[in-house]
Amino acid sequence: MKETEKGASHLTFDHAELFARVDNDRELLHDLLTIFKQEFPRHLKALREAVESRDGKLVAVAAHTLKGMLLNLAASQAAAAVGRLEELGRTGETSWFQDALAAFERDATSLLPQLDACMAEVH
Amino acid sequence: MRILIADDEIMSRRLLQKTLERAGYEVTAVENGRLAADQLCPADGPRLALLDWVMPELDGPGVCREVRKRTEQPYVYMVLLTSKESKQDVVAGLESGADDYLTKPFDPEELKARLRTGLRILDLEDRLVEAREKMRFQATHDGLTTLWNSGVIVDLLGRELARSWREHVSTSILMCDLDHFKSVNDTYGHLAGDEVLKETAKRLLASVRSYDFVGRYGGEEFLVVLNNCNPAYAVARAEEIRKAIAQKPMPSSSGPVPITMSLGLLMSQEWGYRPVQELLQAADAALYAAKAAGRNCVRVARPKVSSADSDPQAHEPIRLRR
Repeated sequence: MKETEKGASHLTFDHAELFARVDNDRELLHDLLTIFKQEFPRHLKALREAVESRDGKLVAVAAHTLKGMLLNLAASQAAAAVGRLEELGRTGETSWFQDALAAFERDATSLLPQLDACMAEVH
Repeated sequence: MRILIADDEIMSRRLLQKTLERAGYEVTAVENGRLAADQLCPADGPRLALLDWVMPELDGPGVCREVRKRTEQPYVYMVLLTSKESKQDVVAGLESGADDYLTKPFDPEELKARLRTGLRILDLEDRLVEAREKMRFQATHDGLTTLWNSGVIVDLLGRELARSWREHVSTSILMCDLDHFKSVNDTYGHLAGDEVLKETAKRLLASVRSYDFVGRYGGEEFLVVLNNCNPAYAVARAEEIRKAIAQKPMPSSSGPVPITMSLGLLMSQEWGYRPVQELLQAADAALYAAKAAGRNCVRVARPKVSSADSDPQAHEPIRLRR
């Protein structure tokens, strides 16, 4: 299933790539998704606060962490969106922070239920 | 093979750990660069490492730089694994001392293949080190007896004499020669002669302390350096060595070979600071005095007391207190 998921309205993560990445180890995938569910809200909160404070360095660090997590789940679209924030943070282009954050949050909103569905599938 | 994973992001650590354990690696995972450097820098640390670039405390390139500062320790093969992928990043990562560079998200098969490359490099390094150590051993040891060779034992003696002079202690020199060794070769054959030399080396080593030095000085001649020992100990040790050789025939493929040893003993504190070669000549003269006295005995080299002495070097028989 390439960049689609049953019931999803648009592209979020690459199901086949994700399974290949864990070598079809469903237990490992379940572990990764559990960790993601636990860790994601904390890192998103840190990113929002960094954007709010317009601190480019903090934005880059928080965005970098989220990007790594999302790439591990083959969620390339959300990873690219947060990667944009990382880049803006590095270059200090604070005026684009809010727009980039909003774009990322839209992708994340689509992604999370699909990851929940995937988690139920591998449980 | 042990491998270290350093990544501050828990999902990456878990994914890497499981992937590598499945591939047969023994994995240690840490969450920052400081812990990674602490694990990798000791000589017995893991020799393969996968390092994230961005980490708290110390970043991946920082870990590489710390590890590369070490010298004379086993090589560590380090792969930087990160989502940074610009050319400048690749160059900076490799310049820091990394051996390879992989971008996230990693492909498991590519990762394993790259680590196999690392294993080949480490195997090559191990073989080079082994060859170097073998050559170093061959350059410093006698091929037959594996004792220190002549050049090294004289160097060691020189160092010990200098140290004993500085520290006001005594170093003793024992010049030892197997008696009538030529007749061993003539009677029992050269193979048996070699076996006698090897057995002599064993008995000499068994007769001295672990921090004394024993070397093969010439054909059937051996040099023993007794560090930091008082004269009474040196005299007793010389007599113990003589007995260790004489009391039991040497086993050989041609049967037991009875043999004795003559020894010349010199105690440095009686001689003051003299060149090594002069002391060796004096010990050698004492050895020849032992030969002249009928062999299978020890003679002590004494410095001349004054220029008026008719006998410049007396070679006293040893007297053991019982």
